[in-house]
Amino acid sequence: MNSAIIFGLLIVLMITGMPISIALGLTVLTFVFTMTHVPIESVALKLFTGIERFEIMAIPFFILAGTFLTRGGVARKMINFATSMIGHWHGGLALAGILACAMFALVCGSSVATVVAIGSIVLPEMVRAGYPMRFGAGVITVAGSLGILMLPSIPKVIYAIATNTSIGALFVAGLVPGIILTTMLCAVTWYIARRRGYPRMPRANWGARWRAFRESVWGLMLVVIIIGGIYSGIFTATEAAAMSAVYAFFISVFVYKAMPLRDTFKVLLTAANMSAMLLYIITNAALFSFILTDENIPHALADWILGKELGLVGFLLLANLLLLIAGNFMDPSSIILIMAPILYPAAVALGVNPVHLGILIDVNMEVGLCHPPVGLNLYVASGISKLGITELTVAVWPWLLTMLVFLVMVTYMPEMSLWLPRLLGMM
Amino acid sequence: MNKVLNHLEEWLIAFLMGGATMVIFVAVVHRYASGIPWPALQDWLLTINMSWAQELCIYMFVWMAKFGAAYGVRTGIHVGVDLLVKQLPERIGKKVILFGLLAGALFTGVVGTFGAKFVWAIAHTDQVSPDLELPVWIVFLAIPCGSYLMCYRFLQVAWGFWRTGDLPHHDETHVEGIDDPADAAPVPKASA
Repeated sequence: MNSAIIFGLLIVLMITGMPISIALGLTVLTFVFTMTHVPIESVALKLFTGIERFEIMAIPFFILAGTFLTRGGVARKMINFATSMIGHWHGGLALAGILACAMFALVCGSSVATVVAIGSIVLPEMVRAGYPMRFGAGVITVAGSLGILMLPSIPKVIYAIATNTSIGALFVAGLVPGIILTTMLCAVTWYIARRRGYPRMPRANWGARWRAFRESVWGLMLVVIIIGGIYSGIFTATEAAAMSAVYAFFISVFVYKAMPLRDTFKVLLTAANMSAMLLYIITNAALFSFILTDENIPHALADWILGKELGLVGFLLLANLLLLIAGNFMDPSSIILIMAPILYPAAVALGVNPVHLGILIDVNMEVGLCHPPVGLNLYVASGISKLGITELTVAVWPWLLTMLVFLVMVTYMPEMSLWLPRLLGMM
Repeated sequence: MNKVLNHLEEWLIAFLMGGATMVIFVAVVHRYASGIPWPALQDWLLTINMSWAQELCIYMFVWMAKFGAAYGVRTGIHVGVDLLVKQLPERIGKKVILFGLLAGALFTGVVGTFGAKFVWAIAHTDQVSPDLELPVWIVFLAIPCGSYLMCYRFLQVAWGFWRTGDLPHHDETHVEGIDDPADAAPVPKASA
């Protein structure tokens, strides 16, 4: 009964269009004032302690690193390198765009940043080379979502915080699925490009490839810092994020010289704005889940789901559907903060590995990012390409479908996500 | 007055963001540098205690989060589910949006008051934070200050919306520096 009231109130408040963080907070306040004996003081304390954990601080650091990277010329070097490797295939520039997205995703934890960084360079270039804008924008919208699948990813950090899963294991677990998705997207692109006879780039010789690699290596070094650092225990995930922010600042300003030093303030402010918004949702979601837990709702829901005897296959299907539906209304961070604590207990009871569940949720978020009405990648790509949302929605179809096939694979082949972290002994 | 407040807000959160990054960077470098046996230098490094860095970073980010959230109201970065509101006829839609903004002001106002009471109560104890040994009430001051500022921002935006119908809108698609013509220079061809 209480759970119906809590969720009902939350949904009513949310559809008025108020910020999700405020809707979460007001739900909690209303509930506390009217229906429970939870002392108000403990709620006030929770407002502070909700985000008083060092792991959470990885989020602002990763956002800062991402903001420096989008501005710092790293993307251009990666595109050059990718183009030199596979530019001579059918649809070469589009393939290079996907590969560059994948490389950028290795060091950046946000899919929007990936679309902006790669798309704003590669899209004009593709149009100049004779591709239709629709094709390019479609490719980059979906490929950009690799940003939250490969290695570091802000949604993964949020999931890790919400469920106490190892951040390092989640980062590494996304690598193999990320490579598989990259390959699948490339295959579809290659097929379409060959059929429609899209232009190919001249083949680069190995000398040019080596030069392009050497130029992009500064950016790729971040992988070593993040994963090497976490894996070897040199630093924690949060420290790795802070180091990558400092490193990204350094290469943007001093190595690639793409960002003048005086812009640092603006970058800091942009990153702070974004981080504060996320931290504010996290604070209020922490309040919300505190109330849920106090009312024992996650376990009641888990028991209810288990009582349906859906079995593992049915449960995972249900989880996917719920997440895909939620992806029509909310942004990834809010979905994870609200849904993960509910799905997690049931999933664990059914024997789903927490890391696998994390990757599954992550891929669902990727799908949500690429379709209307709230898919942020779509809006960003539309902003860069000046295409309307409707047109772009049609344009992303082939790749979005590929992604759904990939989602089924990730859901029912847990080994795909779990193999690498197990091999490295991270879980 | 508002202008000063705006600048103060921006400087504060940008400083906290940069500062926290530097604190962690220095702490990590220090941790490894003091493990290297350079003569004399190591002894000196070992005398510096950096164990408070994590705590300071957390507090800086909590402060940044509270004041940044207020700044976010001004920049319109706090998004909600606006699908249905957009479908409503304009007159009703406007009222719903206004309701949302005032709800925001209400929530932040209530939280600010909670926070203020809490800080008041804790200021009469001598609790200090574990590593920095700062009085806890100073640390917690972020809640009332940040929340009241946010409340003020919500009222400000609501007032502006009521009068002009304009809402601050955060444009995700615009990234500083990316749209510069100089930046859009052609990517060198692969074979070049």
